[in-house]
Amino acid sequence: MNGDAAGAPNGGVGKLDRPGRPGAADAWDARSQEWLLGADEDGSGDAFPADGLQAAGEVSPRGRRAAEETSGSRGSAPRRGATADPVKALMHRHRALCERAVDPLEIAAGLEAHGVTDRTAARFRHRDVFSLAEELYARVPRDEAPHPRPEPASAPRQRADLALRTLLPGAVCAAAVTGLRLTEGRPRLLVAVAGVLAVALAVRPALRRGPLAVPARTPTWRTATGTRAWTCWLLAYALLGDGLLRAVMDGGPDGLPTGAAHGPWPVTTAPLLALTLACAPAAWSTRLLTSSARRRLASSRGLEEFTGAVQPLLLGTLALFLGALTALLALCGAALGEPAGYPSALPLGALLLLARLLAVHHVRLGPALAVAAAAEAAAVALALAGRLPGWAFLAAPVDALVDAWGPNSIPSLVCGAAALALLFRAARTLTRAAAHAPAGDPE
Amino acid sequence: MRIGLLTEGGYPYVNGEAGLWCDRLVRGLGQHEFDLYALSRTRRQEDEGWLPLPPHVSRVRTAPLWTAEEDGVRYGRRARRRFAESYGELAGVLCAGPGADGGDGGDGPNRADGSKGADGPSSADGPGATAGSGTAPGSLVDRFGGALHGLAELARDEGGLVGALRSDTAVRTLERACRAPRALGTVREARVPDLLAVAGHLERALRPLSLDWYGDDGLGAADLCHAAAGGPAALAGLLAGHFSGVPLLVTEYGVHLRSHYLAFGPDAAAPAVRALLAAFHGRLAAEVYRRAAIITPGNAHARRWQEHCGADRARIRTVHPGLAAARFADVGEAPDRADPDTLVWVGRIEPAKDLVSLLHAFAEIRKGEPKARLRIVGAPAGPEGEAYLRHCRALAAQLFPDEAEGVHAVGDNPVSFEEVGGPEAPTLADAYASGAVVVLSSVVEGFPVGLVEAMLCGRATVSTDVGAVVEAVGGTGLVVPPRNPRALAEACVALLRDPERRERLGAAARARALELFTVEQNIEAFRNIYLEIVSHCPVRRVVLGQAGEPRPFAVPAEAHVPGHWTSPTARVAHRAGPGWAQGTAPRPTPARATARTATEGAR
Repeated sequence: MNGDAAGAPNGGVGKLDRPGRPGAADAWDARSQEWLLGADEDGSGDAFPADGLQAAGEVSPRGRRAAEETSGSRGSAPRRGATADPVKALMHRHRALCERAVDPLEIAAGLEAHGVTDRTAARFRHRDVFSLAEELYARVPRDEAPHPRPEPASAPRQRADLALRTLLPGAVCAAAVTGLRLTEGRPRLLVAVAGVLAVALAVRPALRRGPLAVPARTPTWRTATGTRAWTCWLLAYALLGDGLLRAVMDGGPDGLPTGAAHGPWPVTTAPLLALTLACAPAAWSTRLLTSSARRRLASSRGLEEFTGAVQPLLLGTLALFLGALTALLALCGAALGEPAGYPSALPLGALLLLARLLAVHHVRLGPALAVAAAAEAAAVALALAGRLPGWAFLAAPVDALVDAWGPNSIPSLVCGAAALALLFRAARTLTRAAAHAPAGDPE
Repeated sequence: MRIGLLTEGGYPYVNGEAGLWCDRLVRGLGQHEFDLYALSRTRRQEDEGWLPLPPHVSRVRTAPLWTAEEDGVRYGRRARRRFAESYGELAGVLCAGPGADGGDGGDGPNRADGSKGADGPSSADGPGATAGSGTAPGSLVDRFGGALHGLAELARDEGGLVGALRSDTAVRTLERACRAPRALGTVREARVPDLLAVAGHLERALRPLSLDWYGDDGLGAADLCHAAAGGPAALAGLLAGHFSGVPLLVTEYGVHLRSHYLAFGPDAAAPAVRALLAAFHGRLAAEVYRRAAIITPGNAHARRWQEHCGADRARIRTVHPGLAAARFADVGEAPDRADPDTLVWVGRIEPAKDLVSLLHAFAEIRKGEPKARLRIVGAPAGPEGEAYLRHCRALAAQLFPDEAEGVHAVGDNPVSFEEVGGPEAPTLADAYASGAVVVLSSVVEGFPVGLVEAMLCGRATVSTDVGAVVEAVGGTGLVVPPRNPRALAEACVALLRDPERRERLGAAARARALELFTVEQNIEAFRNIYLEIVSHCPVRRVVLGQAGEPRPFAVPAEAHVPGHWTSPTARVAHRAGPGWAQGTAPRPTPARATARTATEGAR
């Protein structure tokens, strides 16, 4: 039907467009350039009839319409070719708007923004813009093909920056350990204090920006501080705890640690050095998880599908990190000539990574970190309490553990249990789509 | 009376929208007490502070819409079930179809019934939508309102709504609703990112639900809620009505639903997201219009939208915006000293004003009136406006060569581009006064403020028939179709050649503008509407004694008398009950306030 009508308005559409509101920045430019050059001469000769010019209110719209129609002037699509389907021409003109509208009101709003009023709609034999929009909405051929989806915004490329920030803690820690090895006595104490401070400062940029940063939405100040405190305690135990426990079991400690790997209160620097170096693999694996989860998010059709796809991702991320940490531990142990301390350092690493992952995705950690720290403290406290006359039974479990597997077993058990709890939590929460929702608040 | 004035992104912030109108309203109605409840849109807005407030603004409470802090409340099993029920209801309503389609069946008279388009939407939506909206017209509206109330009550009782709306439960509920057999086709293809986007948008749109404004120390104590805009501000008013029975007055100078459509265009999001959000805002608008005691659109255009969305005609009162007429009084009352050949255009320069058309019309005018001059007074709006201004300047230079009086005089272009504040037009009134005829050539226009200013200056006007122009100008100016330079030119020539007609139209225009578009009439209209609302739907508060039994006569009849019937300091007493009841501290029906994101500043 209306085959010629579809063809005829092509010229008509151009005229309809004449002194119009620009649709885009270049539309008016190009068009008025044409007028300037006098290229567009058709239709500019016939004027709006003199009777279209009147004080509003003197002639009713109906009268005016009648006048327009009898005078047969230009100015509206319907009369351009008597057989033409005027609405079709309009639809062609606003094709993009009509095809992509989700309901008639959107077309109405768009038409009004293009200057279509109820009086214009009356020329299409509609009472108002709304009913005109409804006809357009009903008639427009909707392409059922899926619309191209915007690609998920890829993370900004800042590899060099990120590498620098995540390698910094390890480098600072290595320098501090070297300093400890090279000094003796009071200077060593100073080096130790300075080293701890420097490592603490170096960790901050790695956690402030990049994949390990917590988006500034939640956590309340208290929980953040708590997490930080428990993390520090766990790391301090990794450094000093085993030595302290052994010293306590042997009846010590008789003095503060000297910073040496051998002595009454030995310091185990290898795990700590490996953990600080592991900031880099942690950041990279987190980034990998985030970006691939985002990709899965874009490609998933349903929530179940997404959950199924992300679960192996999460486990893979953890495995990747643990592999890297194992390698680092071996390296550090060999370099420092200390035992690598796999059994205690690996669970601790897993615990810290999972805690950070949960925090990054705004999931509550729960008491896992605090319980782990408290359990480590309790082990030392029980060992000490066992010295009291008549209370030796308190130290019995700790004694049994240390005798069976060595002092390493306490942190490995404690951190392993906590890491398992967090892994369980992460497997439930981080695999949900809500955890990967893009941060929404525009500021 | 105590008025709770609800604003969004506007008054009392310094750079707020419609701030001037609200300020005049509050200052003009000094006999009432005003409590301001302001939702801020951006951090910048909040940082820039407030306008100075008059003393009868007894308090200001603000809440940000741009950010929300989770209060860390975790729902237990029952609360989670309540949430899932209400949210599922909401999602089900949204997936059933857009706002204008289904539920408004009951408001029949305003439905568009174009003979061609009548059966359009349902056939396009597929059989599912027809069944969804067809089986129970009107029930969708109730379900939407019920879901909103359910969520609001949950937020009041338990808190934690912000977190819940972003939670996995919400997303899963949405997914289930989208995959339901009766859901719209567009919605059914929603994917995971779409669901997340919708959940995020809904969370933002429903933030007024988490506010602690609705207690007896807040909106519950007001006699009337006046929402200065639709959308979130009106949503807060709806909740005040739900919790405390406070009547709601909604003023919309621009229809919120329409701006949502324009702002959230095809490129903003996937179709499923847009469909769901359009349905939400449509339903919200319908609910607001249904619950509001009075709706006051700013012009007939807004009124049409409101009627289309289901507003009852009997409760709509158009209140035109008011302009300060004083600054135009000198010009308006002085005899016409303008150059009789000068046309003036005043406004913000942007493509929608179609200055190109005006320049072409002016070329036409100069064929008949060679001495005619055109002054374009205004500043460009944004980078697009600047580009457009450059283009117009180039076009003017090409169309009209410079010309001079004689051989020895320096030439000048008949079209001049100026800004208000320049030497030629020190004030806006001077700009209008300098022209014999004021021209408006827009293709898109809301309420034509510039035209009304010209009318107040007593100028004859020629304008295009767009927006509310005809409504504003009435019979006191010439109106031509938009995009028709020839008609514009002929109208201008007719006026330029006929000073007597010019004078007559100018005088009529000034009289009309003074009658209809002054600040005074605006405030007076609201004064009457306030009284009308309070007399028709007064808040009936049941004051309970300590034992929980109702206390008759605790709120005396005098409490409903407009104006202060005691000194303002006695406010607390007259809220809570008369003096003899003070000892027993009667309190209105309890409503637990949960403090969350809102901050309060007492004035």
